[in-house]
Amino acid sequence: MPQDRTAPAVGADVQLPHDLMIWVLIVSELLVFCAGLWGFSAVRISDRAGFADAAAYLHPLRAGLGTMILVSSGALAAVGALRMQRRYLLGAALVGAGFLMVKFYEWRDLAAAQISTETHPFFTFYYLLTGFHAAHVVAGMVILAVVAARRRPAEVDAGVAFWHMVDLVWVLLFPVIYLVSA
Amino acid sequence: MKYQTQKIALAYFVVAMALFAVQVTLGLVMGWIYVDGNFLTEILPFNIARMLHTNSLIVWLLVGFFGAAYYLIPEESEREIHSTKLAYLQLAILVVGTVGVVLTYFFNLFEGNFLLGKEGREFLEQPKWVKAGIVVAALIFLYNISMTVLKGRKTAITNIMLLGLWGIALLFLFAFYNPSNLALDKQYWWYVVHLWVEGTWELVMAGILGFLMLKLTGVDREVVEKWLYVIVATALFSGILGTGHHYYWIGTPGYWQWIGSIFSALEVVPFFGMMAFAFVMVWKGRRDHANKAALLWSLGCATLAFFGAGVWGFLHTLHGINYYTHGTQITAAHGHLAFYGAYVALNLAIITYAMPVLRGRDPYNQVLNMASFWLMSGGMLFMTFTLTFAGTVQTHLQRVNGEGFMDVQDQLWIFFVMRFGSGVAVVLGAILFIYAVMVPRREVINPGPVVQDAAE
Amino acid sequence: MIRILRAWMILVAASAASVFLAMGVPSAIWLGAALIGLALLKARVILSDYLDLYRAPRVRAGIMLGFVIWALVLCALLAAG
Ligand code: HEM
Ligand code: HEM
Ligand SMILES: [Fe+2]
Repeated sequence: MPQDRTAPAVGADVQLPHDLMIWVLIVSELLVFCAGLWGFSAVRISDRAGFADAAAYLHPLRAGLGTMILVSSGALAAVGALRMQRRYLLGAALVGAGFLMVKFYEWRDLAAAQISTETHPFFTFYYLLTGFHAAHVVAGMVILAVVAARRRPAEVDAGVAFWHMVDLVWVLLFPVIYLVSA
Repeated sequence: MKYQTQKIALAYFVVAMALFAVQVTLGLVMGWIYVDGNFLTEILPFNIARMLHTNSLIVWLLVGFFGAAYYLIPEESEREIHSTKLAYLQLAILVVGTVGVVLTYFFNLFEGNFLLGKEGREFLEQPKWVKAGIVVAALIFLYNISMTVLKGRKTAITNIMLLGLWGIALLFLFAFYNPSNLALDKQYWWYVVHLWVEGTWELVMAGILGFLMLKLTGVDREVVEKWLYVIVATALFSGILGTGHHYYWIGTPGYWQWIGSIFSALEVVPFFGMMAFAFVMVWKGRRDHANKAALLWSLGCATLAFFGAGVWGFLHTLHGINYYTHGTQITAAHGHLAFYGAYVALNLAIITYAMPVLRGRDPYNQVLNMASFWLMSGGMLFMTFTLTFAGTVQTHLQRVNGEGFMDVQDQLWIFFVMRFGSGVAVVLGAILFIYAVMVPRREVINPGPVVQDAAE
Repeated sequence: MIRILRAWMILVAASAASVFLAMGVPSAIWLGAALIGLALLKARVILSDYLDLYRAPRVRAGIMLGFVIWALVLCALLAAG
């Protein structure tokens, strides 16, 4: 089997950046969200019009703005990990808070329209998936703050990888929930 | 035996096996009640037999875990157990509690009494005083084990065992909370039942299996540890929210159907991981350990757990399917193979491994022990198949066609006869096992001469 | 540094393109597929340059294979709806 010997070996024959356990987490999270989006699209088959009506309550532009904010935060975190500099890591967390602001306005509008998880299957999935994701954003901000404070290379590496996972999940959720159904 | 206090495990294993015999025998009695509904109706009603069957199962598995911990913790942490006295006191409390439970159920003593009477929740029927005793015993155990580990070497195996055993004890506290609202009651009930077998017990399973692989195959510790961490991480990731697969139809909000389906589908991963782990370790291992029977039980455990928990669990875990199969014989098929594969076989594996050491003998009677593996496991698999067929027919007649429960049960009679037959095999296998590890002092079947070069 | 900057620009541009497609283009059969395709592109960039999988191309290829299969099934489900 061809082997690249430039990096220290992790596992049998794969060289992996970051700790193995963080990859176990990333892949597990991806499986959950991807399965959720399958479920969303499968249920949509039974009620196409209902999904379109429901999606009209969301704002693609605002969600797109959120996406850009989040990937920008990801870039800051990546730089922070590269340079091991506190301000970039904290900056990433701060910009993450900007994403949460966008989420907050979105949920506030929906709540004002009396929309809950039980209103329609669309919103069951919507709240589940974006809610789970937002919970990860909050967790990621805490993690970033902690690893920035301690600045131990292994911890920063793992914390930033977690933060990128949050980006990764979002770029999959965003088109399926906000754009495709409308 | 490297450490004197490992001897404690012997007493635990003996108690565990005695209860194991009682448990499967009661299963057989119930199996016959299913065939002849009037059997023992006055002396031992079905519901009482069922409580005894399931409770003795849980208790003996836990006693086995405790024994396993007392056996492997000294070797892992390279220290004698903190206090031998406490360990035996803990066992005594558990035995008194068990006797109390049996008498209370059998004679229905103190019915309705807050402290002394039985409680009506499946698996958690024990009277409050017994529950309290269990907590005290667990605290003694945790104190004893934690002190030992804290003083000694900390390994991945001790960490995982401690995490699992602490989790078991803490989750058991939910057994005391019994809201009168039935939906809430069920919600908390699963915190014990599900988060035990699909969370904390899995950690114990990973720990014990890891220990056995380390000893039996001689693979490097670092390799074993990496596997264990991945298994534990995936088990907790999927298992905790996997609880949702019990929240489909109990009045909880609809989103649980998706949380439960998705996370519990991922619960297959750690069980697959454990099976892959066991086989890869054996494949990589260079050690030719004399105790072949222990290896057979370890591999059997990992494999049957994957099928019983992983495959048979997945079979009915998606809510669209569970809508039809909920509470049918499919559930019973899964419950039997999962418990047997994951936890019965695990206990029998560590017992098979430890008993010769504890009794200071070579691992004799490999052949009897291995025969008991095939008899018991074959019986259990056959039972699983018959119950699965029964459950499929039941699902169709009852849930699709809408026939009445008892009418359907009548039509399943032939399956229940076959289940009884397979139950006989399981009980015989259990007796053979106990005989093989407890009684003979020499090889029953002489091994053939060792062939140096098989090609000759 | 340059790698991260470039990745960031691609991600922002792809996000803007997604919004534009969804809002500015009349609904068409290929639209969903295009949006999912852009998502896959973003996922690949994040894996490569944020998560450093450019150093482990085989791992990245494995994960991307998973994403592609996921996306194909997803597109089939969306098309059926
Ligand atoms: C080590 C072996 C065994 C294990 C681990 C085991 C486990 C269990 C468990 C977990 C349950 C509760 C199932 C549920 O709630 O769905 C149960 C019930 C039952 N078991 Fe076993 N059992 C074993 C052996 C046997 C044997 C040998 C028989 C004999 C035929 C048997 C017959 C039954 C019956 C009839 C029930 C009641 C099912 C019902 O309520 O419909 N079991 N057992
Ligand atoms: C060793 C691990 C496991 C054990 C010992 C076990 C045991 C059991 C038992 C005894 C029941 C019946 C509970 C009752 O009385 O209602 C049950 C139910 C169930 N189990 Fe498991 N299980 C395990 C793992 C799994 C896994 C991994 C899955 C999913 C992939 C799963 C899916 C289910 C489902 C969906 C039910 C509910 C069945 C119904 O609706 O009637 N189990 N399990
Ligand atoms: Fe469960």
